[in-house]
Amino acid sequence: MSIIRTIKGKNTWVFSGLIIFTLFSIVLSITYGPATITSADIFQCVINECASPMHDMVIWQIRIPRVLVGLAAGMGLACAGAILQNVTRNPLADPYLFGIISGAGLGATIATLVVSDQQSLTLPLAAFLGALFSVVIVFGIATLLRNMNHLLLTGVAVSFMLGSISHFILYLGDPFATNRVIFWLMGSLARVEMFHFYLIGAMVLITLLTIFALHRQIDALLLGDESAASLGVNVDKLRLILLALCAAVTATIVAYCGGIGFVGLMIPHIVRQLVGVTTMPLIIGSALVGGCFLVWVDVAARSALSNVEIPIGIITSAIGSIFFLAIMYRTRKTG
Amino acid sequence: MKLTHCLALVLSSVLFITNAQANNSESKLVTAIATDKPRIIALAPHIVEMLFDIGAGEQIIAATEHTDYPLAAKKIPRIGSSLRIQLERVIELQPDLVIAWQSGNPSDDLARIKQLGFNVVYSQPDSFEDVAKELRLFGKLSGHSEQAERVAAKFLADLASIKQQYGQKKPLTGFYEVWSRPLTTIAKGSWPQQFLDICSISNPFIEADARYPQVNIEQVLQSHIDIVIQPLSESQTGKDGYDWQKWSILPAVKHQQIITLDADVVHRMTTRSLHALTDLCQQADKSREYYQNSNGT
Repeated sequence: MSIIRTIKGKNTWVFSGLIIFTLFSIVLSITYGPATITSADIFQCVINECASPMHDMVIWQIRIPRVLVGLAAGMGLACAGAILQNVTRNPLADPYLFGIISGAGLGATIATLVVSDQQSLTLPLAAFLGALFSVVIVFGIATLLRNMNHLLLTGVAVSFMLGSISHFILYLGDPFATNRVIFWLMGSLARVEMFHFYLIGAMVLITLLTIFALHRQIDALLLGDESAASLGVNVDKLRLILLALCAAVTATIVAYCGGIGFVGLMIPHIVRQLVGVTTMPLIIGSALVGGCFLVWVDVAARSALSNVEIPIGIITSAIGSIFFLAIMYRTRKTG
Repeated sequence: MKLTHCLALVLSSVLFITNAQANNSESKLVTAIATDKPRIIALAPHIVEMLFDIGAGEQIIAATEHTDYPLAAKKIPRIGSSLRIQLERVIELQPDLVIAWQSGNPSDDLARIKQLGFNVVYSQPDSFEDVAKELRLFGKLSGHSEQAERVAAKFLADLASIKQQYGQKKPLTGFYEVWSRPLTTIAKGSWPQQFLDICSISNPFIEADARYPQVNIEQVLQSHIDIVIQPLSESQTGKDGYDWQKWSILPAVKHQQIITLDADVVHRMTTRSLHALTDLCQQADKSREYYQNSNGT
């Protein structure tokens, strides 16, 4: 009900536009890729039967999984970023603040250099375990310090610590394997399958449903811990649930897509400009914009150069850094 | 004694079964390829070169970046690099056979190509003998068995002759420079180590933990290096190599015994590697003569 209220409110046009653009993005992005397939061929494939087995394979086993995983991963990262920024009241918080990318990188490094067989299975599993390991360390230290406000600094410290271990292992490792780990850390949707969409999609859905259930308490947190507590919110418990949820969804995305930077940091900032800071519109808007953003970035990654694929993290980081410089410039002018 | 016999019997059985399985999977693959002249995607420059050597060059429909030899190979369409293969292009081209480099291609891409139902065979030549073995295998798979057999036999004969000519020479101590920044050399198990073994050049870093260890110049200065071997590719300049001239404490620098090789030929596991091997052995021989004449050692 509150979702309908959110969409029906003053942001009706914004959300209508975003929903239409998301559907349009999903359909149109399937037409881009290195294989030469016309829109008519794709339409025929989706509606009836593909003209050739080649079309069937490319569309159903490569492109559609890529588009759907891109959409789910973009939604997950953007929502996690939005929630973290609201929960920590820190505009610079992002899903990687727990050192997740460094932990996943360490897991991937160990899997690539130690286990040479079955890497399509071992690498994501090791990356996921590495990501969770970093989250546990960050939470453990923050709990030990009895100060959740130190979470961001703890995440930075743990990132550097795990990063240095990875670099040391890579330094001693085989050059080819080292190259592959470095490429993996840059992020890519090239290896995804429908199974990954179901997994990431399920995690994103659980995250969204939990946030929808707790959106009033999260809004109360925006007023400050004391105000939230006076309204009957168990601040520490709520914060822990949301942080654990964000960590789990980010770790799942990183395990299958590698390190995709800036999405969780940048998208919520854009959405706040459109719909404000309240949790429900912010989360729905972030999910739609984040999903569309990653779908189109992946289109650029697979189509911009004819013979090679560009790592998706390179594009998101490039856009993200320009975006931040622009924001700083604007703040300087208005401030 | 009985135990030794049992162990020998078990070991020979295992070897026999492994060999039989390899031959079985090979013949299965030949059967799976439904045509005499299969269309091939070759996922590494050395694979392309070997296919051209056995007369199967025209059957290659796609390759990866850095495929530059022979000249005709430059025209082959590219479908990725050592870091990422464009799966859509593989599907679009519908190859009868994909030959992949086991350690040089992304394993997740190869797993996906296999999962999509394509015939994948792996290339992993770790020694000169492996090159001959793979030439024969590619010959069988591509429908060029006779030519492949001829090329492999000549390759092995040439290798035996080089081994005979240079294998018993007085050893020299050599430092093999893989990269200059960071300074990286070779050890046991690496592809270039066999070049040093055949040319009677001893490697002070042969027992290092990694196959391509990064070393500190201090470690190099501690060794009595007679020759420095510096492979450079055509695209590299002298500036890309390590500047040895500062270290005249090393006999190799003091006597200017720095051997330059064509990196693209040495580091590519093909029949051309024997040219690089001959070149290295000849240059090492000249250094030996130099030291003998000048009593520099």
